Amino acid sequence: MRLPFLSTAALALALPLQPAASLAADLSAWRLFVADRAEPKVTVVDALAGTILDTFTLREPASLVRSESGRTVFAVQGDAGVVTAIASGISFEDHGDHGDIDVEAPKLTGTELSGRKPSHLVEHDGAFAAFFDGEGVARIISEKAVLGGSSDVSEVSTAAPQHGVAVAYGAHVLLSEPNAEKPDALPVGIRTVDAKGVQVGDVAACPDLHGEASSGNLLVFACATGLLVVTHGDGAPQIRHLPYADGLPEGKATTLLGGRGLQYFLGNYGPDKVVLIDPTADKDAFRLVDLPMRRVHFAVDSVRPRFAYVFTEDGQLHQLDVVAGRIANSLKLTEPYSMDGHWNDPRPRIAVAGDHVVVTDPLQGKLHLVDAASFARAGEIAVPGKPYNIVSVGCSGRIHETE
Amino acid sequence: MSRMLKLAAAVSAMTLFPAMLATASAENLKVVASFSIIADFAKNVGGDRVDITTLVGPNGDAHVYEPKPADAAAVAAADVVLVNGLQLEGFLQRLVEASGTKAPIVELSKGGEVLKIADEPHPHEEDDDDDHAAGEAGHAEGGQHAHEEGHHHHGEYDPHAWQSVRNAEVYVKNIADAFCAADAAGCDGYRANADAYGRKLGALDAEIRAAIAGIPADKRSIITSHDAFGYFEHDYGLAFLAPEGVSTESEASAADVAALIRQIRDDKASAIFVENITNPRLIEQIAGETGLKVGGELYSDALSDAGGPAATYIDMMRHNVATIKGAILGS
Ligand SMILES: [Zn+2]
Repeated sequence: MRLPFLSTAALALALPLQPAASLAADLSAWRLFVADRAEPKVTVVDALAGTILDTFTLREPASLVRSESGRTVFAVQGDAGVVTAIASGISFEDHGDHGDIDVEAPKLTGTELSGRKPSHLVEHDGAFAAFFDGEGVARIISEKAVLGGSSDVSEVSTAAPQHGVAVAYGAHVLLSEPNAEKPDALPVGIRTVDAKGVQVGDVAACPDLHGEASSGNLLVFACATGLLVVTHGDGAPQIRHLPYADGLPEGKATTLLGGRGLQYFLGNYGPDKVVLIDPTADKDAFRLVDLPMRRVHFAVDSVRPRFAYVFTEDGQLHQLDVVAGRIANSLKLTEPYSMDGHWNDPRPRIAVAGDHVVVTDPLQGKLHLVDAASFARAGEIAVPGKPYNIVSVGCSGRIHETE
Repeated sequence: MSRMLKLAAAVSAMTLFPAMLATASAENLKVVASFSIIADFAKNVGGDRVDITTLVGPNGDAHVYEPKPADAAAVAAADVVLVNGLQLEGFLQRLVEASGTKAPIVELSKGGEVLKIADEPHPHEEDDDDDHAAGEAGHAEGGQHAHEEGHHHHGEYDPHAWQSVRNAEVYVKNIADAFCAADAAGCDGYRANADAYGRKLGALDAEIRAAIAGIPADKRSIITSHDAFGYFEHDYGLAFLAPEGVSTESEASAADVAALIRQIRDDKASAIFVENITNPRLIEQIAGETGLKVGGELYSDALSDAGGPAATYIDMMRHNVATIKGAILGS
């Protein structure tokens, strides 16, 4: 089914008798991919209709990563040693003045990336690099290959098994450098290799490397000392170290997200804070935001660049204004989910789907919908089991009109 | 140590501009300029009644700029937002949305002589525009017809209108209008400043024409990195070729580069230049393959920093003309 649509203004002109809002809804498609905490399955939900479209069986409960294009969702199953690719069924082509959405049934593409203990999966410019901690190996594959069902990867090895990360960065690969003295510890830097696997330049130091994100043309890694900031240099990636500001309290980010529409990074910082980072800023590169309770999860809004969301253990969802650098709204959604216990215990996770912020409530077996504009409850969707990790893909017909 | 150095630098800046600091106040008009050339125009019109925040600074590339939360905060707090328009600022819409600003967004190229993009044919474009423009019932199926894959809609117009000094005069007039609308009490001053600066621009235009007149007609073809000089070509009679199109967003194709190299080898170019906003590598490569010597650096879409040769718009145009002339006549 192909649904070409025009921008809202163009629609209003072309179909003057119908309200544009209802048309926009007709022309939107949003899907939620929800991994269960207890069962090896991913449930696909039509976010607009509130119905379950399909359920895919995996080897074990997974963490999920969606591609930039939204065409692919990866289910990473660390102990089972496999990354399974799912075609979301939604593809979108931006033609500037209008866009085309293609909607098909979601399906397993047939691509499986196998190896010992896959962990981080990172996309850069349409190439995915899955890092296999148990081998210290990155397996790289393009989105085109994945959608075609191929499992043919190129491999790049590091010196030792590690809880690592790799980024396929144009003609180069950025690889975490294992800690040679303490094999169980986090990596200590980033090594750049060329297409032949030959090291380019020095290893950029990044003690306790954990966390990576892209926003616009910037790629960053989180270190105990600050961030590594990667840009396209002259012939090879250029890496600089941005130290944490002197005024920051003790702490570090270990999970980073990249802003969409605005260029910034959002990270955890201690148990009850988040940090907003603009690596290009001369002053206030790091802005700390205090939370009322310990943090459970956070997400950026890909539709409304001004906002990000944080869930805290008291069951509240907070709307974070990334421009003002403060919590703008809070909404009680679930029973408390204490951060005591294992990090991977079932707790709420956040995704943004069109006009809604969606929060999983694993112990109640449902998703909460919050209207992103009014920040009020907007319904629930029952999902059997313990709905836990969640990603959304889709398009709301919000084409940015360039006049 | 580094803090003390910074403090010292700040103090010396203060002593250099005591008048500006003395008059800057909360009463001043808060102006956001999308890039450095517009900021210079705004400074000339606004004088000490305006505080200007520049989004894309010296040597920055507005085509590919990524707006930051601080930019959204500046736009949110602005009384007037000055932009080029013609799709130069691809980031504008999302920045304005994120800011939630109520300030007028003023497109300074409006009312200027605007050039269509010449050498990029878009066969569907006319049809599409007709569909969008026509509101009549006959187009009720407009939302349903199929669109071909790979059809990309770029800007229809060349955004680099400031490379014509006559257009720069229009920008300045538009700024004065915008400032008057936002600050009626300062209007007489803005108009007087705009007139005075406009006379300087008039003289600059004449100066450029005179300088170009000294270049032989068969030596007026030059190479730059991207198609930023269409207006300069149109107004002053030089021919510019570039491996990249009117936006730096898409990289030059190998075929475009090969075609350009063939043209140069057929003796179609007298000089080649790097630009301040783009990586010089491609131009250096083309120069190396064709035996042309890089004739210097042109300032296309941004000023230099304060200590550079193009710290103001007038200095930028003079520097470009002198650099072009020097390279052609020196060769
Ligand atoms: Zn340009």
